[in-house]
Amino acid sequence: MEVVASNVTLDAEHPILRLQRNALIAGVAGLALTAVGFFVTPDQFFRSYLLGFMYWFGIALGSMAILMIHHIAGGAWGAVIRRMLESSIGTIPVLAVLFIPVALGTHHLYEWTHADVVAKDAVLQAKQAYLNVPFFLVRAVLYFVVWFAVASLLRRWSLEQDRELDPRGIVRMELMSRGGLVLYGITVTFAVVDWVMSLEPHWFSTVFGLLLMAGQGLAAFAFCVAVSTVLSRRESVARFFGPAQYHDLGNFMLAFTMIWAYLSFSQLLIIWSGNLPEETAWYFTRSQGGWKVIGYSLIFLHFAVPFAVLLQRKIKRTGSKLALVALWLLFMRFVDLYWLVAPSLHPTSALPHWLDFTAVIGIGGVWLWFFVGRLAQNPVLALNDPSLPEVEA
Amino acid sequence: MSVETGREYYGVSQVPPEIIGPGQTFETVTDRISQVVLTRETPKGWFIGLGIALMLLMVFIMSVSMLLAYGTGIWGLNIPVGWAFDIVNFVWWVGIAHAGTLISAILLLLRQKWRTSINRFAEAMTLFAVSCAGLYPLMHLGRPWLAYWLLPYPNTMGMWPNFRSPLLFDVFAVSTYASVSFLFWFTGLIPDLATLRDRSQNFFGRTIYGILALGWRGSARHWERYETAYLLLAGLSTPLVVSVHTIVSFDFAVSVIPGWHATIFPPYFVAGAIFSGFAMVVTLSIPIRKYYDLEDFITLKHLDNMARVMLATGLIVAYGYMMEAFMGWYSGNTYERYMVYARIFGHFAPAYWALILCNIIIPQMLWFKKVRANLAALWVISLVVNVGMWLERYVIVVTSLSRDFLPSSWFRFVPTFWDWSTFIGTMGLFLTLLFLFIRVLPMISIFEMRTLVPGAELKEELHEAPEASR
Repeated sequence: MEVVASNVTLDAEHPILRLQRNALIAGVAGLALTAVGFFVTPDQFFRSYLLGFMYWFGIALGSMAILMIHHIAGGAWGAVIRRMLESSIGTIPVLAVLFIPVALGTHHLYEWTHADVVAKDAVLQAKQAYLNVPFFLVRAVLYFVVWFAVASLLRRWSLEQDRELDPRGIVRMELMSRGGLVLYGITVTFAVVDWVMSLEPHWFSTVFGLLLMAGQGLAAFAFCVAVSTVLSRRESVARFFGPAQYHDLGNFMLAFTMIWAYLSFSQLLIIWSGNLPEETAWYFTRSQGGWKVIGYSLIFLHFAVPFAVLLQRKIKRTGSKLALVALWLLFMRFVDLYWLVAPSLHPTSALPHWLDFTAVIGIGGVWLWFFVGRLAQNPVLALNDPSLPEVEA
Repeated sequence: MSVETGREYYGVSQVPPEIIGPGQTFETVTDRISQVVLTRETPKGWFIGLGIALMLLMVFIMSVSMLLAYGTGIWGLNIPVGWAFDIVNFVWWVGIAHAGTLISAILLLLRQKWRTSINRFAEAMTLFAVSCAGLYPLMHLGRPWLAYWLLPYPNTMGMWPNFRSPLLFDVFAVSTYASVSFLFWFTGLIPDLATLRDRSQNFFGRTIYGILALGWRGSARHWERYETAYLLLAGLSTPLVVSVHTIVSFDFAVSVIPGWHATIFPPYFVAGAIFSGFAMVVTLSIPIRKYYDLEDFITLKHLDNMARVMLATGLIVAYGYMMEAFMGWYSGNTYERYMVYARIFGHFAPAYWALILCNIIIPQMLWFKKVRANLAALWVISLVVNVGMWLERYVIVVTSLSRDFLPSSWFRFVPTFWDWSTFIGTMGLFLTLLFLFIRVLPMISIFEMRTLVPGAELKEELHEAPEASR
């Protein structure tokens, strides 16, 4: 077997760079409009901002988990998308900066920060050892430190591997990934408890962390498929993305769609069946009026339709078709997060606020600009990935 | 999704990557595996093993007879601890069963070739473990001869089972799982049964294996249909692996009992099932490969892979414990918090900490490749995990029930002699079936092992047909 050391880089005219410029324009415009929203309706601003943040944060963190799974398990599918995953986790410092408004907005976002509410509520008092602003901020810093450390080491070692192949480097990345996955599981769980679950401080669900992790994995795979098809506009890249690679990536999207549905269904069935007031209220809000429509649409459009489509072998093996499914799933991830986050602010109306759109576009534009920047810095394929020979084999 | 290619290529694989020993040919594979069945001299060790198993089986028969004669009062359970050893053991055995289907079906769909030498054996283990498991809910009915009342059938009593109850889902899930697992196992056996038919030296062997082989002649058409059927069954079994233990977890989670009502139960039970199932496969395969000289077929690579699966699923289980404890506290609910407290510091602390030791702390040794390659250590760890997973179910079932919402109803469950004897008795049933299986059927798939022999590429492609159906 010949080592594939093709140095594939992006040329200056590559379509993705045009995408990058457009993303920056959209991002700046979106953030500017969102900033206007801050002065008009501060409460809504923070909610919408949190929603947008959680969306792009999910893609970056999902990428981290997938990258580590690839370092442990190998496989051609991972070798071809590895650089995208690495570029995605390279944005963690950017996400840390983008998190600042959330950290500043705790009073607007989280009911448990209101001393007067807590004083009247025995349950919230019982939770105060965990749900208090200083500890919340300390935890957030800790999460970002962990993610940044893991991400930057994996990226640095990967670039070292590009220059020189050292078998010990492969082992080093694998060991890092094993520990990293454990850290990922713990930190992401508590992060989503802090940032999303505590929006409704009485509610709790032990599977919530896993549910959001499944969503992150799905979003990250869908994102990689979408980016792959853009990169494949050039023959030099396209030859690495054959039907077999798309097939594997499609199967992963299918698997994560199923895991997401499995966990969502289990959570619903268990809470519905138990029918305890502190738990079931969360679903009660989400099954009224417009939220009910969105809830049902999640069942069909986030699970049933993608599931049926992703069972089709022909679709999975054709990049352009799979990319459409991926874009659809990326959209549904947003709808799902909207359904998780937004009802806690306006339980009665499911209509999105204009800020919901400007925030996710603004944050996303800036995030994508950094993402493509990271991607363009280095060869598009990790040159000495041990699984890369399988791609052409 | 081959794990090895790249790593082998760069020479950083941590364990010898062979999944079949050097020097094996088509001939030696067939000889070695079929001679265990067709030999005239049954090894003495087998008789001793079967003898012990039969004695334990007798304990089981005695226990069941006592149960039928005197009723469930001979066990230590009583309201509020209405579920105790019977359900603990049911969940434990069902969990063990899962590894077989996982190895056979899911690893087949994932194109993991290392499954080949252990799948037959693991599937047999699945069937025997499900048989043991299925007996417990029946015995727990108190009047097992009325078990057919569980089925929805038109009757003069005007009774209809409650379809909202996961206990009813269980009836369907476990019986479907048992039947599909049996079909899957038997379908996989057919080509090997034909081999035994052809090689058998005596009339009985030829007749019995001949009938069981269903007229298999090994023609291209047979093989084509076989591959299709096998894949379809693999596809059918895959959701069943997840569904059975998910529904078992619903038995607990849909209630409002503190310590049971947790949304993480489904994934955490499934992971726990795989954890205990792989532990059981390791527990059984280490002595068997040694005793029957099958080191060339069940290699260190197999054991290493199984140890890794155990480590990974063990960590998911650890995550489940962490979330249960954290959310119990975070809920702010008095009862939930008390249950966490009762398990960690209270009356049940010894069982809880023993389970943490067995399921979380000791298996962390599997991070080290030296431990994974040390068969004695691996074997002991697998036993420890088996004990730990039993303790987990014990802690879940018994602690939650014995601390009722009303302290005046609190009850301390103490297992009786008959609780233990029934449990040990099912081990006798399991081992008896296992010893008989090893003696009369090929415990490793002969024809699938032959696809791993160097030079068998053409057959390998056939075997990799999953590609076509996915």
